[in-house]
Amino acid sequence: MGWDESLVLWCAVWGVVALVGYGMSLAGVTKAQRTVRLTGRIERVREPRHGGSRKGGISVVVSYSDPVSGQEVTVTNDGERGDTIISCAWEGREIGVSHPRGRPHAYRFSNTPEEPSRGLGWPSFAVFLVYVGLVVLAAVDRGWPWALIGFGGPWAVSGAVHLPGAVRARNRRIERLAAMDSARGRVVAVLKDVSVDDDGHTSTTITPVVSFTTREGTAVTAYCTANLPHPAGAYGRDVTVHYTSADPAEFTLDRAAEHRSEKRQMTFHVLAIVVLVATAVAGAVML
Amino acid sequence: MTCTIGHMTMTAGAPPTHNRPVGLALGFLTGGVIGASLTAFIGGCVVERAPLILTGLVLPAVYGLLFFLATLPRRAREAAVVPRTALAVIESLEAIGGETSDVPVRFDLSVVPDEAPAFRVEIQQDVNLVELPDYRPRGVLVVEYPPDRPWKARIVKRPTPQWEERAAVAQVDSVPGPAMKSETSEGCFGALLTLLGLVLGAAAVLLLFRADLFDSHEADSGIPKPSVSSSSSTTTVTSATGTVTLGPGQSMLDKGELRKAVESLTRDADRRQALTVVVQDHLLTVVFSPTGVKSAAFDPRSLPYDRVPGLVEEARTALGVGSPRSWQLTVDGVTGSLTLRVVVTGGEGTGTLEADERGKVLRRSGN
Repeated sequence: MGWDESLVLWCAVWGVVALVGYGMSLAGVTKAQRTVRLTGRIERVREPRHGGSRKGGISVVVSYSDPVSGQEVTVTNDGERGDTIISCAWEGREIGVSHPRGRPHAYRFSNTPEEPSRGLGWPSFAVFLVYVGLVVLAAVDRGWPWALIGFGGPWAVSGAVHLPGAVRARNRRIERLAAMDSARGRVVAVLKDVSVDDDGHTSTTITPVVSFTTREGTAVTAYCTANLPHPAGAYGRDVTVHYTSADPAEFTLDRAAEHRSEKRQMTFHVLAIVVLVATAVAGAVML
Repeated sequence: MTCTIGHMTMTAGAPPTHNRPVGLALGFLTGGVIGASLTAFIGGCVVERAPLILTGLVLPAVYGLLFFLATLPRRAREAAVVPRTALAVIESLEAIGGETSDVPVRFDLSVVPDEAPAFRVEIQQDVNLVELPDYRPRGVLVVEYPPDRPWKARIVKRPTPQWEERAAVAQVDSVPGPAMKSETSEGCFGALLTLLGLVLGAAAVLLLFRADLFDSHEADSGIPKPSVSSSSSTTTVTSATGTVTLGPGQSMLDKGELRKAVESLTRDADRRQALTVVVQDHLLTVVFSPTGVKSAAFDPRSLPYDRVPGLVEEARTALGVGSPRSWQLTVDGVTGSLTLRVVVTGGEGTGTLEADERGKVLRRSGN
């Protein structure tokens, strides 16, 4: 079997996988569709211990109403409780609690209540692999410039389509930054995680934890990994925290830096589109 | 308030060990798949053979998929078990090394569930250095375990307020040993078996694909000798031409035979260019391009040899030459582009089929 046949087989296999995935989604039997999504409420926030680990997120006690029994269930974020860790918590905050249907003990947390999902992630990824296979097939059969066109073209179009949305999101973010309230905060702990990779290299992750009280009296505890100089020695330091009243999880210690970061992201987005267009054009010229 | 928790002792012993042979077999198989796929992939890249490279990529994927499907029922069964929460007392603990901020600690615990017999269990769990002083012998803590596999117990570091209060005031009695513990790794024997599987997997690929791997290697590295004879074919190479004559019972249309023959004639380090390649059923002749002559010359290794049997078959059947007696493939680049010309002679005349350098049929002429 040569490259052509192998690539056709690759596309066929992933095409079938995608079709099966979309079929399962239509039938309502994907894992995401069999997940029960609930809204939980943080009842208690346990302050992280200075020098401890960031793993598992901020320790919280969460209660939610079980839709089957109607009873109030109290759980904590102990052990493996989802890919996202709770990095910002206050009593009364609503967070997402989800579990597979019929297995409430396998609950997971997310920072915000989750919308129902149709579970199209994996089928879409399979479609992406078919697309990659087709581009490589075109490059093998008709010459390598097709690889430039195949990869540069669609991504440039996608980037251009998403550009207006990105601009609007950036403008909204800048407006929110300008309207932020300010409060005095304190670094209540600095968490330290030391890991050693297979080559014996040691890496240390420093995570300062900041605590502040909003104008409404909400005591917020949050991991603060950006815009804090010398984080390793920040324990006990007083800081000024800027936060959005509607959602204190959106906070920063340096509004100007956030502003610059938004600008950089937009520049990067535009630059990426230019590079992709140039790639596609170069491919077309070389044909 | 202080309460004392007594116990009925669980009679269950150590975890079942029937999985041990299965685990060893799985280790052997995994080693074999790793060895085979790595050998196939690296070997395929070196000799530039797509089937080998694909074998190296597809084999672990298929194995992983089969493994996933085979273990799916067991994992679903285990996931459906509702874990039980209980109080436990630390009989002893020992930090067993580690250079990270989370150190592995071996705990010997007496677990006293509310509605089940008490039991003794030995577990290993990572504990953060800062939290390590919180754990001391006779300390009471909260654990969670699947009722059908109590040796899989783990310490709940963040219990609910209700369990936190219970652990704070309770006194838990010790449970007599011995402690059950999770099945240990297969040890040195298991590692050796995996290594054996790895070596055998690599050997199996070398054996199965020996023709592709070693013939190509010889073709790439050897210095051409004027004449090489073997029981199956005769190869003659001069400065101007090279011929390969196959022995009886063989054909240039046999799988891989033509490519092998061409490579046996072109194993010079400088990859000699050809002016004409002529192939008959038992005979291959390559007319080499004189040194310095570039026009009309081509790399004889670049031809679509996989397509040749198909082209000959098409010429034999589609050109209406009757019962075909002989065929000949001629490849040259005198017209500027490389052309493959198949001439078949049959009882009712002669037919010609022309194809381009990729083996795509350009024209057919015949009776």
